[in-house]
Order: sequence, then C-alpha cells, then structure tokens
Amino acid sequence: MLKSKTFVKKTRAGGVMKVVREHYLRDDIWCGSEVCTECKDGAPVLQQDARVESDLCAYPHYLIPDTNVVLHQIDILEDPLIRNVIILQTVLQEVRHRSPPVYKRIKDATHEKEKHFYTFTNEHHRQTFIEREQGESINDRNDRAIRVAAKWYTEHLNKAPSVGELKVVLLTNDRANRDKAEQNGLLAYRCEEYIKSLTGNPELVDRLALTSDDQNEITGSKLLFPEHLPLSRIQAGIKSGTFLQGTFRASRDNYLEATVFVQREGDDSTEVLLQGLQNLNRAVHQDVVAVELFPKEQWVAPSSVVLQDDRPSDKETEEEEAEKKLESPVLDPSRLKPTGRVVGIIKRNWRPFCGMLNQSQIKEATRHLFTPADRRIPRIRIETRQASTLVGQRIIVAIDGWPRNSRYPNGHFVRNLGGAGDKDTETEVLLLEHDVPHQPFSQAVLSFLPKMPWGITEEVNTVWVPILFHIADVSHFIRPGNALDQEAASRGTTVYLCGKRIDMVPELLSSNLCSLRSNVERLAFSCIWEMNHKAEILNTRFTKSIINSKASLTYAEAQMRIDDASMNDDITKSLRGLNTLAKILKGQRIAKGALTLSSPEVRFHMDSETHDPIDLQTKELKDTNSMVEEFMLLANISVAQKIYEEFSECALLRKHPAPPPSNYDILIKAAKSRELEIRIDSAKALADSLNEAVLEDFPYFNTLLRILATRCMMQAVYFCSGMDSDFHHYGLASPIYTHFTSPIRRYSDIIVHRLLAVAINADSTYPDLMDKHKQSSLCNNLNYRHKMAQYAQRASVAFHTQLFFKNKGILNEEGFILFVRKNAIIILIPKFGLEGTVFFENNDKPGPRLNFDSEVGPTLTVEDQHTFHIFDRVKVTISLDASNIQHQKIRMALVEPVIPGVSVALPEPEPEAKKLKLDR
Amino acid sequence: PPPVSLSSLHVDDLRVDGRGCEDYRHMEIETDVVSNTDGSAKVSLGHTDILVGIKAEIGKPRPMVPDEGYLEFFVDCSANATPEFEGRGGEELGVELSNTLYKVFNNRHSLDLRSLCICPGEHCWVLYVDVLLLQCDGNLFDAMSIAIKAALFNTRIPKVHISEDEEGVKEIELSDDPYDCMRLNVENVPCIVTLCKIAHRHVVDATLQEKACSVASLLISVTHKGMVTCVRKLGRGSLDPDSIFEMTETGKRVGKALHAPLMELLQKEESLGKKRQKVGFLA
Repeated sequence: MLKSKTFVKKTRAGGVMKVVREHYLRDDIWCGSEVCTECKDGAPVLQQDARVESDLCAYPHYLIPDTNVVLHQIDILEDPLIRNVIILQTVLQEVRHRSPPVYKRIKDATHEKEKHFYTFTNEHHRQTFIEREQGESINDRNDRAIRVAAKWYTEHLNKAPSVGELKVVLLTNDRANRDKAEQNGLLAYRCEEYIKSLTGNPELVDRLALTSDDQNEITGSKLLFPEHLPLSRIQAGIKSGTFLQGTFRASRDNYLEATVFVQREGDDSTEVLLQGLQNLNRAVHQDVVAVELFPKEQWVAPSSVVLQDDRPSDKETEEEEAEKKLESPVLDPSRLKPTGRVVGIIKRNWRPFCGMLNQSQIKEATRHLFTPADRRIPRIRIETRQASTLVGQRIIVAIDGWPRNSRYPNGHFVRNLGGAGDKDTETEVLLLEHDVPHQPFSQAVLSFLPKMPWGITEEVNTVWVPILFHIADVSHFIRPGNALDQEAASRGTTVYLCGKRIDMVPELLSSNLCSLRSNVERLAFSCIWEMNHKAEILNTRFTKSIINSKASLTYAEAQMRIDDASMNDDITKSLRGLNTLAKILKGQRIAKGALTLSSPEVRFHMDSETHDPIDLQTKELKDTNSMVEEFMLLANISVAQKIYEEFSECALLRKHPAPPPSNYDILIKAAKSRELEIRIDSAKALADSLNEAVLEDFPYFNTLLRILATRCMMQAVYFCSGMDSDFHHYGLASPIYTHFTSPIRRYSDIIVHRLLAVAINADSTYPDLMDKHKQSSLCNNLNYRHKMAQYAQRASVAFHTQLFFKNKGILNEEGFILFVRKNAIIILIPKFGLEGTVFFENNDKPGPRLNFDSEVGPTLTVEDQHTFHIFDRVKVTISLDASNIQHQKIRMALVEPVIPGVSVALPEPEPEAKKLKLDR
Repeated sequence: PPPVSLSSLHVDDLRVDGRGCEDYRHMEIETDVVSNTDGSAKVSLGHTDILVGIKAEIGKPRPMVPDEGYLEFFVDCSANATPEFEGRGGEELGVELSNTLYKVFNNRHSLDLRSLCICPGEHCWVLYVDVLLLQCDGNLFDAMSIAIKAALFNTRIPKVHISEDEEGVKEIELSDDPYDCMRLNVENVPCIVTLCKIAHRHVVDATLQEKACSVASLLISVTHKGMVTCVRKLGRGSLDPDSIFEMTETGKRVGKALHAPLMELLQKEESLGKKRQKVGFLA
C-alpha cells in the first residue's frame, strides 16, 4: 500500500517548497517474538521467557522505551541486565535526528545478540503507521505512533497461544503520554519507577540520568545564571552580527576564565575572552556557543592567576572573592582582549568524562561532587548510593544538564574504570580522554573479513625488474563504504601506547593477511623503479601483485647480514646493494635541504609478566632503519606524483608547512649564547647550520639543538589537493608527499592505495573518492585522530615514566637545561628522555629573588648567586609527586649547582627493603 | 457531415448527440489528484481531458500593484491530446490559451489578489497554474476554466509569518504544521462559456464535429452572479451585433447556472475527507 508524506520546507533562497515523499506500507513485518506463531520470522530476537527480577513487573515482559528514555537513559539501556527491548523505528529516527552518538550506541546495542533488542519498523507496518492529524504537533504524532505500536504489540502477542503472562511495558517519562497510554489499556511506567523496581540490581539506579522533573529540588531556587537565549534569537543575532558564534575553550589554569574561538572566513578569526561564572554562563569546554561582546571600556586582560575550583562546598562568598582576584588593574591597554559573555548554547559537546569522586562530608549523603581528570571541565554533581566504594576509583560520569539555579552541572554515574593509579585503568582513562576509539571491533565490522583459511585465487603474471617495493594491499580487503571501512575511517590510525596497541583494522588483517610474511603468498601493491647505480630513477611503475617473500627480517637481523662479511647469499647481496642506493638517496635528499631532527625517543623495557616498566632505553637507529626509510620516502613521493598527476582535484597528500620565522627565535637565541649562528632563510640553510653547530667539549649539544629545532616545527597535515595550493613538505624538502607505505595502520594510506589503484586501472572508483569536499572532511578527521593519537601516546609514556619512577624512589641524575622560564627551568634528562620542571617558587613559602632576562639567552639569575643559561649542565633529583592522585607528576629538585635555600641535599642512599616493593 | 442535416436538427433544439443547445456533455471532476502540487484538479468533459496543477511560490509583487500577488499560466498541449500537437505544433495554441486564461483570471474581480500578498512591495505568493491537455475533444476553454476553479478551490497555501528582528531584517517563517494553511476564496472565480455559432443558432459545449461547422464562436467568462468579466470572439468568421447580444445573454444564463452545482460538488467531495476513494488517472 502506498501513502505519501507531505511537508513544507523553506529553501535556502527564501522560497517555500512542498516536498512529497512516497511511503510504502507492508504487512510482512514481523513482531520478532519467540512466542508468536503468526509472524513467519525465522530467527526471532525477543525471548519467550523475558523475565527480570522486578517488584513492579513480576511477569515476563518486553520494554518499549520512548525517544526521551533512549536519549537520556542510554547508559541504563546498555546495561547487560536490560534485555528484550523493542526499539521502534519512530524512536530510532528521532534519536538519530537529535543525537548521533546515542544513535550509534543504540544501534550497537541492537546488534548485540545477548541483548535481545529488536528494531520494529512500525512506520512501515500497515497496522501501526499513522498519519499526522490536524492540529497535532510532530512530537504528539510520534508519541501517538509509539502508543499505537505498543497497543499493536499487546494485542498481537495476546493472539499467540503460548503467550502466558508475557506483557509489553511502555517506558516514558512524559506524564501526558503515560496517561494516554493507560487510557488505551497499556502498561506504562516512568523509567525511574521501573529501574528502582529492579530488586536484583539496585546499582542500576545510580546510572539513571536526572530528568528535568527531579532537578528542581537539588539546590535552592536562587537563580545563579542568566537565561540562555532560544536558538531562533541566537541565529538572528549571529546573522545581524550582534552575537558571535564560536567554540568555548575553558582555561586549564583558571576555572573562572575561558576563551571563545570565533572562526571567520579567511584569516579573520578572533578570540573572545570570558571572565567570571556569570559570563561563562554554564558553557562547558568544547561547546559551540554564542557570545555577546562588551563595549571596549569593559574589556579586560587575561589574568595570570592560577585558580582551581577545589572548595569542598559551594559557598558563594568565596566565589566572589575569587572573582575579585581576577580584577587586577591593567595599565597596558595593548594587553586588553575583546571581552564578552555567553548568551546561549548552540550545540553542547558533552561527552562522558573520566575523573574521581569527592565524597560528600555528610555521611549517607547520596549527592556528591565529581572532579573530572580534564581540568577544563567543571565539577559535576552526581547522585549515587555507592560513594564509599567509588572513592579512589576512576569513574566515568555523563552530564545531564545544567539548570540555572545550580552551581554545578548535574550528571550521573556511568561506569567504574578501576582503581586510580592502576595501569589498565589509567590506560583506559587516557584513551577515553583523547577520544581514541578502542572498543573491540563490532560483529558488523568483522563480518567483512575474508573467511579463513584464505588463499589467493586469481592468476597473475610477474615481471622481473630491478627494485620492487611492496606494500600489503589492504585496500583489497577493505572495500569502500562497508562497516569495516567506516570503522577504519573513523579510527583513522592505529594508536601505539606503551605495552598496548589500539588497532585501526582487525587483527586478522593487520598481523596476518596484510603482513608480508615469508614463504606465504600475499597480495601486495608494488612500486617498481628501474634505477641506475647513481640511484637515478629511470622508470617508475605501479602494479598490484602477489608476493611470496623470501625472508622476513627484523632491522637488526638485516643489519647483521650486511655487516657479516662471511655471508654472501642472494638476499644479503641484494641487501647490500639496496643499502648503497639508500645512502646515495639520503645524500641527495640532504643536499636538497631535508632536515634531520631529533627528539629523545625512549622505550620501556617491559616486564613480560606484569607489563610494568623495568628499565628505559633510548631507541637505537641502525643503517637498515635508514635504508627502509629511504625507500619508503621514495615510494611515497613517487605515489604522490602519480596520484596528483591523475587526480589533480582529489589526491590525498601530506604537507608540512614552513614555520614562520618567529618560531625560530628561541633556537637562534640558544645558539647565539654559544656564539653559533643558525640560518633559517631556507630548510637547506637550517640543515647546514645545524650540521655546523658542533661544540668540541659538549657532544650532546648538537642533539639538544636539534631537539629545540623540532619544537619550532609546524605539524604536518593531510589535505586534499583540490582544496589547497601549497603542497610543500618542509621537513623532507619534497615538493609533494603523501603516505602510501602503512595502510594497515593509517587510513590515509588506504585512500592513497585506492586512488593509485584507480589511476593504474586496477580497481574501480566510487563517488566519495572523487568528491573533494568529502575528501577534505576525511582529512580533517585523520588529522584530528592523528593528533589525539600522539597526545595519547605521550600521555601513556608519561604515565609509564611515572610508574617507573614510583618504583625507583628518588633518583639523582644529570641533565641539561632545555628552556629557561620566568620562574622555572625545564630540564631534559637524556638518559630517560625525560623532561621536568624545577620551580623556584613555592606556594607555601616566599620564593628566592629571581632575575629574568629574555634578551640574551634567555637567562635566569637566582638569589644573585647563580645564572642559569640554556643548555647548562645541572644535577637534579627525580621523584614522583603523588599528592594529587588524578594528576601525578614527576618532581625535579636542583642538586647542583648548589644554591643555599634553593637546591636540595643529595638524597640518602635508599634502603634495600624499599626496592622489593616494586614487585607488586 | 453535411451542414444541412445539422441545421435541421438545430431547429428542434436537438443536436447530433441528443443534447439541447444549452446542454453540457457528461462532466467528471476530481480534485487533489497530484500530491506534489498545492492544488490540483482533473476534469473530463466528454472526451476532453484536462489536468490543472497549481504551485504557490514566493515572489516579488509587480511594481504597479505592490499589495497584490498574481497568477501565471502555462498551457501544455501535449501530443497525447491530439497528433496535431506533435513537435512544436501545440506551442502557438498553448500561448494563445494561456494569454486568454491570464486575462480571464488574473484580476481582482475574479480572485482576491490582495490575499496573496505577504509583505507589500517585497513578498507575495505567485500561483503558477499549469494546465495540461490530456485529450482534446472540443470546448477546451470551458473545461479548463472549470478545472482551474476546482484546482483553486483545492489549493492550500502554507501559512507564513513575517518576523522582524531589532535591525528590521525581515524573515519569512513557516509553520511546521502541514494543516496550518490558507485557502483561497473562489466565490467570484468565473467560468468560461464558449458559444459556437452554427447557422442561425448557437450551441454551448460544441463537439469537434460541431466546431467544424461553426464559423465563429464567442468566449464569455461569467461569475456566479452573472457578471461578465471577459468576452472574446474566436474563429475566422464574423458575428453581427444582434447575435453577439443574443449569445452573451445565453452565455450569462448558462454560466450562472454552472457555478452552483460545481461548488456544491466540490464541497461535497471535500467533506468526504480522507475517506474519499481516489480515482486518479487509472479510471
């Protein structure tokens, strides 16, 4: 049967359009219940014995949640206890429209077999489809559709012979909807009511999100915040220019201060400063907000005070005092920043936050404050009965809302991650906080993997050519658009943490089918160069191929073969040949101005049992590393040229912009302090001057300079060739570059493989591949994931360093000053690749006299006794400061040079007994 | 057919198909037949088949009448209707027909054009009236006018509100309820009566046969009160003043009588609401 859906829409040009969609109704949509004999469903999802221990519904029952229950109580629905739920299409569509993340979660839940969630397409069922009536709002219509579907289920199941006591229960928090449902003879309960009735699992109650009905009682009726404007007013204001739209960025150091980054077309972006709780007006970090600018007289300068919101209770007097601290008279008008206030929220960007519970001082209280690990997130008030068990644990909390009369946002407990400081817990925390998707791959994704055992079936002709460079053909397995592809695109990259790897693609691909193991046939994508002995490329070809690798060698094994003069087999000979060519290539590259930069790379020696770090080692680079790297670079460049040649509008490339000259100030000053000159007019000049900057008596100096130079660089990014004109890769001194060589761990490489495959007619294209806007937004995601992966990696190293030093006690090491700041020096310990700060100011006692000179060096003179220069050699003690369990830090204290009152004495040699403690 | 036999029949007020001189053939009307228009109607008169669709769009009022909306007509003479329309054959006729329709309907006496105004001088509704000739069996004008009147009756224009912010920037806002819409008052919309002069008599609703015998015809548009809004002479022949007067009187009488049953029919159809069995094009 055919129905049409009609609605009127405003077009962008200001016209009005009538849109008519055809809507087909069917009578072969099954109810999905095991009980039913009428429907011809082969594998019904909903169980016959759908029993849950509940004193409200003692009979077996199916749940039908309405849209708001799904949106707000998704944490509850995800609990393994909640099974046999009917998700109506009406609900699903509304959820999709209102919150894509919740939509994804409910979809994932329906895919889980044990959950017994059934999606009923009521909008296409002949008996449950309803048309909107005159005077009915769209919400009312959807509520009615839900009731009609629930009614249908009740009647439909009653017809089944073996129905027993089975009933359908509607969950809704909307009173009007519940009343109407009850009038229709349906069983309807509020979500809270139902969850509280689950006698077997009282802990579920904690995970209930607070709904608006309950919020009123939480604080007094005093309104603390100005009202948010409705969206229509905001949009009108933004259009007329009275308001500005931007992303809210809370300050890390001061909870009363934030900036709003207003992006405008071109380079005309500005930052608006916000100060004080009233002006921040309940915005949370990363929200998209509308701000109103104050007149120029009211502009202020960012305060330099560090303020942390750590008071035990909310007393407003303290609040006002804290706000007063912000108001320091500023004489220099150039420091004044555009200042404003938040008038409304355009889009909340709340995510579940990791953190810890501050238990309320009142015994038996159920409301507690939660302190997120991210300092930019305000504390959240949650309600829980298990506070005593949650203290000292890392937990996840979601924000439900922030009413005007509440000092803190209200939230609910989601999940307990485990004890703070525990290795697995902390790893989980850093993955969550860096937005690294790390759930196991879903069934939908895994279903696209090839069946094992897998073998090559197609025929192939091989041609012998001098140098073949093979990369596993991942794009053969990951086809555009399927669940596997989407998941990989969303993950963007494999994340390497200490002792843990978060794969971008399932393991079967990453470590088997797309791993070019020796003596097994594998699909590969090959780059074939014909080269002469001067390493000049005579001809380049790309082809898909099948490879049966003769030997798979580690870098060290290959190096040993090259070095061992007694080995003269084919493999070793060809390795030597490649190595010679690689050296020539590297020479050419450096001559063009490629930079060799340095960062202290440290690896942990892990205990194979406990995965605790035992020792540190800095990564060693061998000739073979460099050899493979050269050919990888060459392949990347060749591929970049090829795909850009074929697809000038939609090639995915990677660029590394040249940094602005001001970035190098610190490097030039640092070199000048040792009477050396660094030239920055070109990459070549920089590379050359870095090479020349060597001090006889200070062998580590050059490395230090290179570390500094690395900090001056810009971030390399992926981009779509049709959206940009500057392709240059500064660090590699290449006019064009892309990533081709690691498709199993980088999604960019998969796209590049697909482009190349199309270019050589080895594969077919698809629309998204040729759409530069889609390509560009993909690049944005890849760059974001890449950045977050780096941060997560760093955080993981930092955490493991902390673990390492926790076990070591107090250490005494030699290091170099990397930066000199106004009140501190930053020290690099080469042995551990560790950076730490020595503060000369302390919160509790008056600091020593400091004299900071930014002109030369910069330098810092302490107590007029000692002047610190950049790169000075110092001795420090290293210890772990665990006073704040959420933010453990490595503390450094100065030992040498000795400055009375500032430096510390050498620590006592540690007693042996303490060392035993490490073996937890 | 020889004119003699025709004229002899006319004497007795009896025509070839048994009708009287002022009788219409069997007529069928159905409204709301095309879902993606704002108003539509299908009329068949004998074998003449006409489909009218009306689309309302927001446009700028004409400078001379800033507080009025307007109608635009397009008549598509499809080759399905008659082989003569093949290629560009129907184009000339189409333009002629749409010009005539514009004259008849686009004036404030037929339709309250002011009700189409949204914001004087800036926005108004423009009604695009598309007339599709599905089959030609004579008397196109009468059938078209009835179809247009029925389609106008069926037209529902979404309600819009003009909102104004502090700076005076006006914005059109749409109601999100599809039932919240404006109807047109079609009371004064005229119907066209075409009278064919055959020998000494004139007939309404001439078939193609009768038309072939006619030298000239007179097109008269009449409102329900009997007011004549437009008169045009069609055809190559000439008409003497007496017969023009006579024909006008007949046209007024016939036209006036046409409105009441038409409106009754339309109202009756609408009162059926969703229960109405749609016939559409397959009947």
